[in-house]
Amino acid sequence: MMLEMDSLSKSFGGLMAINHLDLDVYKGEILGFIGPNGSGKTTLFNLISGLLKPDSGKIKLNGIDITPLSSHKICQMGIARTFQLTKPFAQMTSLENVMVGKAFGCTPTWSMREAKEEAEKILRFIGLGEKSMWRASALGVVDRKKLETARALATKPKLLLLDEMMAGLTPTEVEEAMVLVKKIRDSGITLIVVEHVMEAILGISDRVVAINAGEKIAEGAPQDVVRERKVIEAYLGEEA
Amino acid sequence: MVQFLAQTFVNGINVGALYGLAAVGLSLIFGVMRILNVAHGEFLMVGGYIGFWLFKLYGVDPFVGLPLVGIFLFLIGIVFYKVVFSRVAKFHEEVKLKNSLLIAFGLYLIFPQIAMVLWTADERAISPAYSGQAFDLLGVRFGYVPLAGVCIAIIVILAMYLFLTKTYFGKSLRGTAESWKAAKLSGIHIEWTFMITFGLGISLAGIAGVLIALTQELTPFMGMPWTLKALIVVVLAGMGSIVGAFVAGLILGIVEAVSAIFMGPYTIAIGLLIFLIILVLRPQGLFGRA
Amino acid sequence: MPKNWKSFFIFGGIIALLAMLPLFTNRSDVLTWSCLTLQYILLSQSWNIIGGYAGQVNLGHAAFFGLGALTTRYLWLAGLPFPASLLSGAFIATVFALLIGIPAFRLRGIYFVIGTLVLAEILKVVIDTRFPVASVLPVETLLTYSLLPRYYLSLMGAVLSVIAVYFISRSRLGLGMMAIREDEDAARTSGVNILQNKLIAFAISTFLAGLAGGIFAFYMVAIQPGYVFSPIWTFDSVVIVFVGGIGTLIGPIIGSVFFVLLKQWLSLHLPGGLHLAVFGVLFILVVLYMPDGFIEAIRRYGKMVTLGRKPMVQGG
Repeated sequence: MMLEMDSLSKSFGGLMAINHLDLDVYKGEILGFIGPNGSGKTTLFNLISGLLKPDSGKIKLNGIDITPLSSHKICQMGIARTFQLTKPFAQMTSLENVMVGKAFGCTPTWSMREAKEEAEKILRFIGLGEKSMWRASALGVVDRKKLETARALATKPKLLLLDEMMAGLTPTEVEEAMVLVKKIRDSGITLIVVEHVMEAILGISDRVVAINAGEKIAEGAPQDVVRERKVIEAYLGEEA
Repeated sequence: MVQFLAQTFVNGINVGALYGLAAVGLSLIFGVMRILNVAHGEFLMVGGYIGFWLFKLYGVDPFVGLPLVGIFLFLIGIVFYKVVFSRVAKFHEEVKLKNSLLIAFGLYLIFPQIAMVLWTADERAISPAYSGQAFDLLGVRFGYVPLAGVCIAIIVILAMYLFLTKTYFGKSLRGTAESWKAAKLSGIHIEWTFMITFGLGISLAGIAGVLIALTQELTPFMGMPWTLKALIVVVLAGMGSIVGAFVAGLILGIVEAVSAIFMGPYTIAIGLLIFLIILVLRPQGLFGRA
Repeated sequence: MPKNWKSFFIFGGIIALLAMLPLFTNRSDVLTWSCLTLQYILLSQSWNIIGGYAGQVNLGHAAFFGLGALTTRYLWLAGLPFPASLLSGAFIATVFALLIGIPAFRLRGIYFVIGTLVLAEILKVVIDTRFPVASVLPVETLLTYSLLPRYYLSLMGAVLSVIAVYFISRSRLGLGMMAIREDEDAARTSGVNILQNKLIAFAISTFLAGLAGGIFAFYMVAIQPGYVFSPIWTFDSVVIVFVGGIGTLIGPIIGSVFFVLLKQWLSLHLPGGLHLAVFGVLFILVVLYMPDGFIEAIRRYGKMVTLGRKPMVQGG
């Protein structure tokens, strides 16, 4: 077991965003995470990455309680994330963006040469090799998402949280992204993927968890979960 | 002793009402527009000097001149909004705050120097014939002019409060304060709202300036100290709260008057220090919500 | 790499020329302006570190300049050797920065700006009250007063600050500072220890500010203690950094040269402090229309400036 969440709760001004959630993530899997808008997916990512602290409950990484740790510690212990609304370091180059991850992440280094070499390698892997000297503010939406992923990968995580990486991509780009996610998993990184694009989540996930209003409503193989009544109702409720 | 304390208390209120009035304009602009105008004290200084000019050159009684200064500063505010602040008003919140702060900071460099040329570094004051007169009540001295200042401050702030809560335009201002994008969607003309808000805030600064000039000296460099006072009051009250700002102003005035007895020249430093501590421990202000 | 070597030689050449300046001229006005420019480079670079690279708009910079100046001045006049006094001044400024740093960096965005502004004001009020009398150099020092040691000391300070910024901008520390400036949450989740990084940046920045104060205290014949705590020192630094180009190595240098030259020129043609008003207008124009400062304009125009905010590891 890689990550354990034990009765995790978080509320904002009386509204339960996450309600006594138990969730386990297994080593080496791609866990798909679905739920309608406002169901608490991003809040959960914020809790895991330490940007928010839970009101109650515990999060354990490989058996170690990381709940009280600050974000940078959590990152250095091996959890990296991307943001749904991308947060690039706008005035810095793509290369520098990714170097931050390498220099400060799980395998920190003081050597800028080493950080630079690693960053170049990751940028090529993600398909941004040509744009390594561009300022991040000059990148388009798709490239920004790639940059986020590259920066997160540069921290050398054991667990990677991808928040809506494929939203707004064309079908071809979604295909590419799916291949990429699998490649990341094959390199030995466990992933939690939040995605609205249903084909994508079904195509890549080994397991899917559905939540609604901060509670887990279904869990299991992708094909089974999307057929569950509760899940369909939750999504229909959103559209109605 | 009781009389002495009562007198200190009254003096504190006299000054505190002006602190409140100075702060309300700053708070209004910040609350609605998310612009922190650290040149607020500069506009206050200009208001004071215009009142002084009206009195000295044309013999206009300062209390008659008050609405004139208010209107004039309103126009000045609109000009400054149009020429500089409107260019940052639509930015993303953090960028807007930072850039507007830097612009106001630039204004802070400009105003005192221009004032030096126009009015020289000599200390000026508006001193009509009745300025020293006072009456005694139970051994406590009430100056007519400071008392009028307190009354005017209360009236202006009350009017402001009613305007914001009871009129359509006021409500649209408050809507804009919640979220200007939502306000825009519901049909509020943002550009106008921002312009009028800025004008009103500056106008309030000008009125405060005239009242200050009646009891204290005007100097070209009074802007920054008054900006700091207004900032303290606004932060104590919680950013954007109008009535809270007035109450906090009174509290600051009284605290200063009382502590002046014990602390002498260090009073200002103590006030600022208390402010810093509150800022670190309760950044949402004493009366603000968490 | 050849490109870096070229910059290196240009930089070395400029220093050598500046070091030889007193051989070419003994006009005291030229030396005075050069002294001022070099001191402004040191002071503005020190602000550039915390404000430009780490993105923390510190409007209380005068406090650290003042602490450095006052400490150096009093220790020196009390008989301590000058170098020891100078280092003590910078050290006191740094210690003060670290003391207030932990509560101050709890404040984010606008509250940090207000907090630092107020902090400097407190210090100014206390110093004004506690030390009302100007400090004038004793007669024996005045008799041997010479501009030359002041000039070389200012040069050393300026060079030190430029070297410091150069190494920061190319180090892990600088990378972390810039990440914090751009987005704190993204920096945090990429492993950057925000508080530690800000404190280190603040310590370096205030050490250099204290040094600038100490050199100023050595340079001036008479000093009003309250004056070195005046917000004008903060404002000069901020204006210079913005006009030259915030967050760049060369920007504050260009800004300082421009600032001193324009100030001298304006003071010949305008009465009193009106030059400040001109700088205010200029500053607003830069913030509105040229947020990257003169350096960006120059770079776009000539594409020949090889230092500054270029990608930090070009060529290795």
